[in-house]
Amino acid sequence: MAVPSLSKAERAYIQASLQASPPLRADGRSLLDFRTVLLETGVAPLANGSAKLNIGKAPQEGGGGTEVIAATKLEVEDVETGDGVDGGRLVCTVTCSPSAYPHLSTNALDELQYDLTILLHQTLSHPTLHPNNLGILPHKKSWLLSLDLVILADAGNVVDALFMAARAALWDTKVPRTRPLQYQSRKAGDALKNADAMEVEGLPEITSAFDTRDMARAAADFELPDYWDEGEVLEGRDRWPVCVTLNLLPPSHFLDATLLEEASTPIRLLLAYSFPHKSQPNLQAMRFIGSGEVVLTQLKALNADGEKYARSLFDSLETKLRDEDIRRNVKARDKFAVR
Amino acid sequence: MSSRVEILNDGGYRSDGRRQYELRDIDIDLSQQGTADGCCTITHGLTQVLVTVFGPKEAKMRSQTLHDRAVINVEMNVLPFSTGERRRRARADRRILELAATIKSTFEPVVQTTLYPRSQIDIFVQVLQQDGGLLHACINATTLALISAGIPMTDFVCAVSGGVHSTSPLLDLTTLEENDLPHMTVAVMPRTGKVTLVALETRLHVDRFADIFRLAGDAGQALHKEMKRAVKSRATRLVGAMETGMKPPMGGADAFERDVVMEDKMSF
Repeated sequence: MAVPSLSKAERAYIQASLQASPPLRADGRSLLDFRTVLLETGVAPLANGSAKLNIGKAPQEGGGGTEVIAATKLEVEDVETGDGVDGGRLVCTVTCSPSAYPHLSTNALDELQYDLTILLHQTLSHPTLHPNNLGILPHKKSWLLSLDLVILADAGNVVDALFMAARAALWDTKVPRTRPLQYQSRKAGDALKNADAMEVEGLPEITSAFDTRDMARAAADFELPDYWDEGEVLEGRDRWPVCVTLNLLPPSHFLDATLLEEASTPIRLLLAYSFPHKSQPNLQAMRFIGSGEVVLTQLKALNADGEKYARSLFDSLETKLRDEDIRRNVKARDKFAVR
Repeated sequence: MSSRVEILNDGGYRSDGRRQYELRDIDIDLSQQGTADGCCTITHGLTQVLVTVFGPKEAKMRSQTLHDRAVINVEMNVLPFSTGERRRRARADRRILELAATIKSTFEPVVQTTLYPRSQIDIFVQVLQQDGGLLHACINATTLALISAGIPMTDFVCAVSGGVHSTSPLLDLTTLEENDLPHMTVAVMPRTGKVTLVALETRLHVDRFADIFRLAGDAGQALHKEMKRAVKSRATRLVGAMETGMKPPMGGADAFERDVVMEDKMSF
């Protein structure tokens, strides 16, 4: 996306070496190799879920590579009077740091930001992916899940990084538990009728204005019960898609391009797949970026290949996320218990 | 018992367990980030700031250059999840522009801009987390980023915030304290003892000003030691890496001889 200036000779050199047999890449990878991906969840203490992802960090220097931070925040929205939607909604925003694209002007940066925001938002806020625990009170209150992604550095393949970081942050998101409340004014004559109800509450003397037993649609408001953890995870968190970018250089294609390789590829195909448990994988989004063209008959083969790559990317991301879960939750609990 | 948090209790401790003049712990990371010439991540308590420096380089817009010195351009970006309440701040938000302008004016007298006429130095500030002392964290991080970019400066700039609770001055306030107390940020140049910034946004009694001001000056000296240590350890590591790179391959001292040190004088 951020195309640095590249001379014709350089471009031809990179293309020729990618098409050579065996293909050669500047960092010695094969065509389908990814650079090292580093991931950490829970990096933003004030967010409901967060992740930091780096692709291709230089091992000695401690720097370099594409770096993305993603974080989610939950806000309560009013369905009747506010912008809220029954059942909650998800809004994605991508911000590009000017330090990632020092050669771009402010306007160009805004445009890039906007393009990426649209791509992420359209894919992730699709109804098929919507988690169904974002509602609080039907027709009254719901959660707004805002997902913010920040590109701190771009060393190529930023879209894959964004999707992976988004998936990790959403995986990490905890929705606070809520309990519906209903206010009742007690009439003097009702005292006898409510006697049994009050016994259930265990408050025989005090007439409580709170009645939490009726969770039905009569509830007027909600409260946040004080509980030891931060809430429950988002429903359907295994559905969030991963994206693979196929950089097409006929007759072959390659993955995880660096900036220079990106600049010398005429057309790129973005494929976002979701792999829900116990069902067929879904293709959630597909985009072409660039000015080249692809023959329709190739597309099917590319799709099948893309699904294969996405699957392996998904599997390794899943393993890492489960590791992180253990590191942050189970181990932390054990540590606490020892103390 | 009130529900309000006590700013300074009878035992002389603050709400986070610090003493009056105690700073929160500072973590400085000078490792490289992306393509930046210099960068620094400072974690000061729970405030975290990432500053990257590009330049001196040719300006993007020719019209903005000055013929006799470099232009310093500061852009600031506050991440939406850095505060408790999510709030998207546009890049042209007043508050952000003001902070950026403050940083710019703090560094203009310190950076030797006259060495680079007709060029531009870009400073990009990313606020990752904030919990009080945002401005001083930004200034300290910018100093270190400029140093790691190798841009000549006359001195370090060490900033610290201070406030006063009834009559007792406090250093390095958290958000909780900042909301309740009059506070200011002071940036000092530790070697010369000069002050490049005093920022006061709340009302402060004149009699208390001198106290905090002097205290902040002393704290600046302490910060200077910490920052110098970080720069030194980074430089030592880089030199170490260079030396291991130059070491001869196993037992061959002859290979090393080939790296000739250039001398100033020439022999004919």
